[in-house]
Amino acid sequence: MWEKILAYIPEWKVFMQGFIVFFIPYIIFKLFNGIVSKQEMNDDDMVKMTGQTTQKNELDYQKETSPKELYDHYTGDFNLDVELVKKEIGHNWDVHFREFNIGNTDIRAAIIFLDGLSDKELIDKHILTSLMGDFSQKDEQESLYEKGDFLQKIIKNEVLSVSDLTEEYDVKQSVGKILAGSTALIIDGMPNVLMLGTVKGKSRNIEEPVSEALVRGPRLGFTETLSDNTALLRQHGENSDLSIINFQVGKRTKKELVIAYVKEIADPNLVEEVKKRIQTINIDDVAESGYVEQLIEDNYLSPFTQVQNTERPDRVFAALMEGRVAILLDGTPFALIVPVTFSMLLQSPEDYYERWLPSTLIRLLRYLAAAITLFAPSIYISFVSFHQGLIPTKLALSMMGTREGVPFPAIIEALIMEVAIEILREAGLRLPKPIGPTMGIVGGLVIGEAAVQAGIVSPIMVIVVALTAISSFAIPQYNAGISLRMLRFVAMFFAALFGLYGVILFFILLCSHLVKLKSFGIPYVSPTVPYRASDWKDFMVRMPLMMMKRRPKMLHTKDSSRQD
Amino acid sequence: MMMNSQDKITASQAVVVLVNYILATGILTLPRTSVEKVKSPDVWISVFLGGIIAIIAAVIIVKLSQKYPEKTFYQYSQDIVGKWAGWFLSLLIIVYFFTISAFEVRIMAEVTSIFLLEGTPTWAIILPFLWIGLYLISSGINAIARLFEIIFPITFVLFLLIALMSMGIFEIDNLRPVLGLGVMPVLKGVKTATLAFLGPEIMLLLVALMKQSEKTKAVKVVLVGLTIPLIFYVITVVMVIGALSIDGVVTRTWPTLELMRSFEIPGLIFERFESFLLVIWIMQIFATFTITYFAAALGLAQLFKKNIQPFIFGLLPIIYIISMTPKNINDLFKFGDMIGNAALYLFGVFPVILLFISKLKGRKT
Amino acid sequence: MKRNNMKGRFRLGLLLSLLLLLLTGCWSSKEIEDLGLIVGTSLDLETDSSSREALEEQEARNSNKELITITNQFVTSETTGSGAKEGKKEQKAYKNVSETGEAVLPTLRSMIEKNDKRAFAEHSKVIVIGEDFASTFNLTQTMDFFLREIEMRPSGLLLIAKNRASNILESIEPTTIPAFQLVEMMKGHKRTTKILPPMTLAKLQGKLNSRASFLLQSVTSENGEMKFAGAAVIEGKTKKLRGFLTGKELEGITWITGKGKGGLVTSFYEGTDQPIIYEILSMKSKIIPHVDGDNISFNVKIESEGRIAEHWVLSEKTFDNKFLKKAERATEKEVERLVKNVLEKIQKEYQTDVSGFGTRLKIEYPKVWKKLKKDWDQTFSEVPIQCEVKITIKDYGTSGE
Repeated sequence: MWEKILAYIPEWKVFMQGFIVFFIPYIIFKLFNGIVSKQEMNDDDMVKMTGQTTQKNELDYQKETSPKELYDHYTGDFNLDVELVKKEIGHNWDVHFREFNIGNTDIRAAIIFLDGLSDKELIDKHILTSLMGDFSQKDEQESLYEKGDFLQKIIKNEVLSVSDLTEEYDVKQSVGKILAGSTALIIDGMPNVLMLGTVKGKSRNIEEPVSEALVRGPRLGFTETLSDNTALLRQHGENSDLSIINFQVGKRTKKELVIAYVKEIADPNLVEEVKKRIQTINIDDVAESGYVEQLIEDNYLSPFTQVQNTERPDRVFAALMEGRVAILLDGTPFALIVPVTFSMLLQSPEDYYERWLPSTLIRLLRYLAAAITLFAPSIYISFVSFHQGLIPTKLALSMMGTREGVPFPAIIEALIMEVAIEILREAGLRLPKPIGPTMGIVGGLVIGEAAVQAGIVSPIMVIVVALTAISSFAIPQYNAGISLRMLRFVAMFFAALFGLYGVILFFILLCSHLVKLKSFGIPYVSPTVPYRASDWKDFMVRMPLMMMKRRPKMLHTKDSSRQD
Repeated sequence: MMMNSQDKITASQAVVVLVNYILATGILTLPRTSVEKVKSPDVWISVFLGGIIAIIAAVIIVKLSQKYPEKTFYQYSQDIVGKWAGWFLSLLIIVYFFTISAFEVRIMAEVTSIFLLEGTPTWAIILPFLWIGLYLISSGINAIARLFEIIFPITFVLFLLIALMSMGIFEIDNLRPVLGLGVMPVLKGVKTATLAFLGPEIMLLLVALMKQSEKTKAVKVVLVGLTIPLIFYVITVVMVIGALSIDGVVTRTWPTLELMRSFEIPGLIFERFESFLLVIWIMQIFATFTITYFAAALGLAQLFKKNIQPFIFGLLPIIYIISMTPKNINDLFKFGDMIGNAALYLFGVFPVILLFISKLKGRKT
Repeated sequence: MKRNNMKGRFRLGLLLSLLLLLLTGCWSSKEIEDLGLIVGTSLDLETDSSSREALEEQEARNSNKELITITNQFVTSETTGSGAKEGKKEQKAYKNVSETGEAVLPTLRSMIEKNDKRAFAEHSKVIVIGEDFASTFNLTQTMDFFLREIEMRPSGLLLIAKNRASNILESIEPTTIPAFQLVEMMKGHKRTTKILPPMTLAKLQGKLNSRASFLLQSVTSENGEMKFAGAAVIEGKTKKLRGFLTGKELEGITWITGKGKGGLVTSFYEGTDQPIIYEILSMKSKIIPHVDGDNISFNVKIESEGRIAEHWVLSEKTFDNKFLKKAERATEKEVERLVKNVLEKIQKEYQTDVSGFGTRLKIEYPKVWKKLKKDWDQTFSEVPIQCEVKITIKDYGTSGE
C-alpha cells in the first residue's frame, strides 16, 4: 500500500519545477510592486523636496525682499511702481515700457506690454490715442484730477474703449498677465494698475486635421489656441448643458486646461474622477496633451492607450453626447476623450456619417485588419516551424518550395522583415514630405525584392509582412495601431517558442490583460463584455441610426435616451 | 480584496462561467468513455440523461446556496454543521477544486504535447499556462467572468462550424438502431455521462458572488448553464459516433480530435480543422483551470480569513506537483475517474444532507 | 536615496533578465523546408530472397519470418521548388524510397539512413497494399502502426493493389505525383458506380474492430498508368484479402447499397440487341430483412431515376412513352442481372457479407443480430435474397429521336 503511494511521489525535479512555478511569478510580482512603490516613494520624495525647496525659496525671498516688504503691491507712486515692474521683468528684451502724460495734463502714466503677444494696433489706435487725447472737456472738474479714484473712473468709463479691463493690485499677478499679452497701465497717483486685455496670441487658421482625414465629414480641426477650440465646440450647436470648466496645470509654466462635458448626460462620478485626476497632475510643465494623457491614465504598464486623442471637434462632440468627458489643453490641437474602450479605437466618425450597411462592413474589415496585424506573422511562424500538418497539402508544398535555401528559421526571417518595415515606416515619417512616399516605395520594393532574390526571406514571408503592415494602417487610431504592432512582436516570440499553443496562450494573456484594464472605471473591453445587447448595436456592426436610441449603458449616463 | 463588494457578476456572466467550467476534457473523451460503458449507439440518450441528473443536482446546490445569499459555501457550511465539521467539509471541497484544476492542466499538457508540440517537455507547456492563470485570477471573479465571456462566443461559433463541416462523413446507419438492445445499456452509461457535467458545484460560491438583484435568477442560471453544454455534448457524441461508428470510437484515445482529423475540405483556406478544435479546447481548459484555481484560493482565503493573494501564489506549486504526479496517460484517466467519483459524493450527496439540516434548523428558529 | 535607486535598477535588471530566460529554447520547432513530406506509402510482401539474406546478415539473426517492403513517396523542397526554376533539368516531382524489414516502423525508421530530410507523414494521402501482402497478413496487425501514429491522418485512403503495390507509386509522367493522382481519381466515385466510396483510415478503424467483412478499392498498374479495377474483399474474421470483385461486380454492390451518386447502365433493346445507355441521376435501395423463427431472408428494393443518355435503337423514338417503358424494363433487367451476379459471387464463392445486409439486420432486429453476429458471414452465404428493381426514366436530353 505504502509502496504504491510512494511510487507516485514525483521526482525531486518536479518539486524543483514546482518551486520555480511559484518563485518566478512571485519575484516578478514583488519586483513590479517594488518598482511601483519605489516610484510612489520617489513622488513622495519629490513632494517633500519641492516642499523643502519652496520653503527655502520663500525664506530666500523673505530675506531678499524683507526691506521692501511693503512693495508687493502697487504704491501709487509712479516712479516706484514702474521700478517695481522693471525689477520683475524689465531685463527682458521683449517687454516694452512707454511713458507719457495723460490727456494734456502733467499726470505721468506708462503702459507696459509684451512685444509680439499684445495687439499693437489696438494699443496704438485705441489706448494711446484716447489716453493722450485732450481731456479738456472735463476741465471744470480739474481739481478732481488729483484724486486718483475719480480719474480712474473717468478713464475706465469714458476714455478707454477696451472691452477686457481689470484692476490689479498685486505686482506678481500683473506681471504674469503682462507676460501673457495684456497691457498694464500705470498712472501716477493710483494705487493699482489697469490691465487691458490686448492679448493677440499667435494662432493659425483652422484646417482639416492631417492625422485623421475623412472622406465625408466636417473639414474642421482643433488649433493650438484653447479659446478657438472651445469656440469650435460651442459652435457645433446651441447647447446650454455643455459645461466647460477650466483648470490650471503645470507648476512652473502655467497652462490652461479645460474639461468639457454635457451636464445633463455625463455621469457625475466620472466628471468628479476626471477632475480629481487632473488636480493630481504634478509636473513643472505640461507640454502637450500627451503629458496629461500619461499622467491621468489608469495603468501606465499597459501597452494599450487608455485615453483617446483626436483633432476633430465632431468626434469630441459625439463623445460628449455619449456621456464622455473631453479634456482640452492650451497649446495643442489634440483633445483627449475619456473613458475609452477598445472598440472605440477601431471606430471612425465616418461610420456614423455614411449609411449603416457600408459602415458596418468597413468596421468589420477593421476588426479583421486588427486581427491580421496582431496574429498574421505569429500564425505564419507557427505553421512553418511547428505545425506543417495543419496546413493544406498544396500550400505546404508551395511553402516548402519557396523556403528552400532560406538559411534562417521562420522567426528570424520574420523578425528581419518586420523590423525592416518598422524602420521604413519610421523613416518615411521623418523624411520631408515630397521624398517620403518615394522612399517608402523604393525601400519596400528594393528590400522586399532583393531579400527574396538573395534568398534571405521567402516570398510568402514578404506577403505576410506587407499584409500586416498595411492592416496596421487601416486602424483609425494611429496609437492603437502602434500598440498592436508592438504586441505583434510579443506574439511572434510566443509562436516561436510554442507554435499555435503559444499563439493561443498569447491570446489568452492579452484577453486577461484587457479584461483587467479599466479606463476611468469603465472596463476597457466594454461593450464586448459584460454582455449588454443594447450596446452591441454600436460595436462590431453599426446599426441604423433609428435603432440606436440609447446611449451606451456602460457609461452610466444620467439621461440614457437619445430621443425625447 | 477579501470580498470586494464591487466584485460581483451578473446572471448572464454566471451562466457563461458555468458553461465554460463544464466544457473541458469531456469534449475530447466523452464519446469514448461513454461508448465503452454503453456499447450501443444510444450513447446520446445516456448523455441526455446524465445532463438531466446534473441539472437536478445543480438545482439542489443552488437552493442550498440561496438560503445564505451573502455567503459562500465556505462560510455557511460552518453555520449549518458547526465550526469544525464545516471547516473540514470546506477543506475537502478546496482540495477537490485544486485537484481538478491540476488534472485539467495535465490533460491539456498531454494533448498539446501529442497534437501540437511533440518534443516539448511537459513542464515547459504547463508553466506559462499556470502563470497566465495566475495573472488572470489575481484580480478577482469579475475579470475571470469577463474573460470567459470573450472565450465563450469564440467557442460557440468555432464549435458549430467544425461540427457542421464534419457532416460530410456522417453516416446515419452508425447511430442505428435506437434502443435496439433495450434501456439497460443506456443506463449503464449514465454515470459516466453525468461525470462529464462536473461543474455545477461552482454554484456553491457563485451565488454569493452574484449581484444582489440577480440572485433570484440562480435556478435559471443553472438551467441555461447546463443546457448549453448538454447540447454541445450531444452534438459531439452524435457527430463522432456517426462518423467513426461504435467500433471505431472505443479504440481511439481522443475520438473527437480523430473526427476532426478524418476529413479534409479542400478549397476552404484551412482544409484541416483540428486546429480549430484544439484552439477552443485549450481555451476551455484554461477556463476550467482558472475557475477551480480561483475557487480553491478563495476558499482558503475565507477559511483563514486572510487576503487571497498569498493563497493564489501558494497554490501554484501544489497544483503543479499534483498535475505531474500521474505517471502515464492511463494513470491520468484513472485520476480523472477518481475525481469524478469524489465529486459524486461531495456534490451529489452532501448538498442534499446540508439542505435537509438547514431546513430543520430554519424550522426551529 | 541613491542606494534606493541602485536597488531599483537592480530589480529592473533582474526583471529583464527573467524575460530573457523566456527566449531560450524552441523544443519542437522544425522548419518546413527540412521536411520530406510522405504523400503515399505502399506495403508489399518481400519475395526476393537476396534482400532477406542481406537483412539477416545485417541483423545478425536468422528467422523465417515474412519480410515486408515499404515504399514511401516523398515530396521535398528540392522536388517541388527547383524543378520549376530555369536552367535546371526537369526532374521528377517525387522521390520513392524503399526499405525492407520485419515490422512497419523499424523499416520506416531505417529509411532515415537513406534520406536527408526528416520524414513527415501529416500529408500522407494514400496507403497502397499489395495483393500478396494483404492475403498473408492480418490487416489489424499491419495497420496498427498507421492507426496509432499521430502523424498519420485518419483522412488517408487505403487501397489494394493487384500485384505489386510499389508499382502503383511509379508514374511515367515525371511531373505528376501518383499519390495525389490516386486521391483525385477517387473523387470519381460520384460519377460512376465502378468506384467505391473512399475508405479512409478513420472508417477502417471501425471495420477492423468489428467482425464484418468489407470492400476496399483495388487499383492496378498497366504500363505505368494506374487504373481502378473493381474491389478487394477483406474477410471479417481473418482480416485478410479474400479475393477481388471485377468492375461489373462492383457495380452490383453499388446497386445493392444504393450509395452510388451517378453512373451508367448499358442494357440491350429487346429484339434488336442495340444498346440503350441509362444514366443514373439518383439511386435508392432498401434492404428489408425478414426474420421468421430461425429463417432469415432479405428483400432488396432498388429504385432509381435517370435519363436515357444514348441509344442506338433506330426504330424507336424517345418521344414515345412505350419505348421509355421498354427501356426501363431492359435497364431493370440489366441491374437485376448485375445484382444477382454479384450476390452469387459473394454468397457462394467468397462467403462474405460486404454489402451491408448485416447492418440492416442489426438495425431492424438487434436481438437476432446479437445471436448471429459471430458467424454472420457463414449464415449470410445461405440466406435467400430477393431483388426488386424499379427504374424510372425522367428525361432523354435534348433529342427526342
